[in-house]
Amino acid sequence: MAAPPRHATMQSISNGGIAPGTDRPQTQQTQAQLSQQSPGLRVPSNRKTIYDRHLNRSRNAELSRASFAFLFGEMVTYAQRRVTGIQDLEKRLNEQGYPLGLRLLDLLFYRSTSTSSSALSSSSTSSSPPNRPLRIITLLHLIHGPLWRLLFGRAADALEHSVSPDTPNEYMITDNDPMVNTYISAPRDMSMLNCAAYVAGIIEGVCDGCGFETKVSAHNQPTELWPSRTVFLVRFGDPVMEREKVLERAGVK
Amino acid sequence: MSSTKTSRIGEETRVDKVNAELVTLTYGTIVAQLCQDYDSNYQDVNKQLDKMGYNIGMRLIEDFLAKSGVGRCANFRETADMIAKVGFKIFLNVTPTVTNWTSDNTQFSLIFEDNPLADFVELPDDGRAQDELWFSNILCGVLRGSLEMVQMQIEAHFVSDVLRGDDTTEMRVSLVRYIEDEMPPEEE
Amino acid sequence: MVVYSFYIFDRHAECIYKRRWLPRPTSTVGKSRSDTVSGAAPTGLGQTVRSTDDDSKLVFGTVFSLRNMVRKLGGEDDNFVSFTTSQYKLHYYETPTNTKFVMLTDLKSPSMRIALQQIYINLFVEYVVKNPLSPTEHPGGVGVNNELFEESLEQFVVRAL
Repeated sequence: MAAPPRHATMQSISNGGIAPGTDRPQTQQTQAQLSQQSPGLRVPSNRKTIYDRHLNRSRNAELSRASFAFLFGEMVTYAQRRVTGIQDLEKRLNEQGYPLGLRLLDLLFYRSTSTSSSALSSSSTSSSPPNRPLRIITLLHLIHGPLWRLLFGRAADALEHSVSPDTPNEYMITDNDPMVNTYISAPRDMSMLNCAAYVAGIIEGVCDGCGFETKVSAHNQPTELWPSRTVFLVRFGDPVMEREKVLERAGVK
Repeated sequence: MSSTKTSRIGEETRVDKVNAELVTLTYGTIVAQLCQDYDSNYQDVNKQLDKMGYNIGMRLIEDFLAKSGVGRCANFRETADMIAKVGFKIFLNVTPTVTNWTSDNTQFSLIFEDNPLADFVELPDDGRAQDELWFSNILCGVLRGSLEMVQMQIEAHFVSDVLRGDDTTEMRVSLVRYIEDEMPPEEE
Repeated sequence: MVVYSFYIFDRHAECIYKRRWLPRPTSTVGKSRSDTVSGAAPTGLGQTVRSTDDDSKLVFGTVFSLRNMVRKLGGEDDNFVSFTTSQYKLHYYETPTNTKFVMLTDLKSPSMRIALQQIYINLFVEYVVKNPLSPTEHPGGVGVNNELFEESLEQFVVRAL
């Protein structure tokens, strides 16, 4: 099967509620009111739809870690059935994480603006647009801090830039004990496998959503103290590096 | 076991937590992936979700028993209570209502006021998804797998879903039979 | 105390894990069968030469019969906890999913019921059941013998017991 463009692959189930400032709810409701015959979606009479419930209602909600482990596990099992090897499996996990990254990015921006502007203005949608990161470092800090806290309840453990002059486009985000790998014990013939490839896909989605074309991969880098320590290698594409130079000269932060 | 005692087990069982949105969105990507892999053939997606749930259920029941420490239920009514007040409470932090029993006590409905799996979700507006896709169908499989492990063969399916425009989300559960212990293969 | 061996049986009556630490002592008085549990599995638990594979089948036969008899006598919820022969003590724990945990120790050992329950809750469920790279069921024992499970079982038996 030929791979469709990445952005196109995420649309089969609409998580429309996540997109901030979207005007879809209004248009859709208007359509429904205008014509009963319109093919739009049916909604329950108590109006329990994503548009009628606050987007922040689940902001601090928690669920069982085991439930996540079981879902994630089944995702890995399902992915395993259709792959040729470890690399292929990691690629599929990456692809599953990617759309999540795009959506989380919207959620992150929405939350960072609604908290900062809510005191000043009651209408968060009319306030200034959120600050999309323009520079690599700002983007990586967004991932290392807010994104990690949203997903895993804490910041990542390290953020580093490649020291090699040959690979100035490489950055490393380290998680000493990735939550997604808590229950995974790989058989010896699969010891290279790192299921945090799913998280790598999430990071890739966030970067792409911000306009930073990149490839992200997850690598086992165990230490005595942290047996499942994982390094996410973030490799930005050439156009990103070119733009970075221009922005640098222009003094854009 | 009394119904209030069952509720208390559900409330008091200690559970490690994660951000609910991570769970919700991860489930969303699973369904989205299936819709893509099965070319939006929603009957196949339902089937696959049920199958995945079955696999999860067979594992989840062990975690359920380990965490809650509960033993075998005396009858199917007690089982229903245990599912709603302890099982769903522990794993999805919701307590569906058990209702609509048949007179022979072998069928009941679970009515979901809240469903964390479907948070953020709107079904595709393709004129079919709302008639064919049961978005949370994985839950039917989870019940089937879990109960099979404790010697109950059941059948479960959704009969309504707010995502389809229905006013409630309701799952119907029927006891098919109790499963006998398996014997070791006879030696010659 | 000394732990001789440990077994897990699944709901299909299959031995999905076995581990030996020390060889269990056996009666040396000829081919004596005096140390078997009467009526349970009288097929010579006292024989000296036998593979662990055969052993596991006998162990299953014994606990399965004993458990069923105990239930007939004491009701559906009754279960046996351990039994003792002149040579060793067998400890038993069964979950509602019919997964059976068996440990053989020397005679001085205290009750291992809690220990077996802990192995189930903290090791089996955490490292086998929740490991997506292990199959859901374990025909032939596939997936139980993963590194995390084996290492932590070793630690638990050697250090904690």
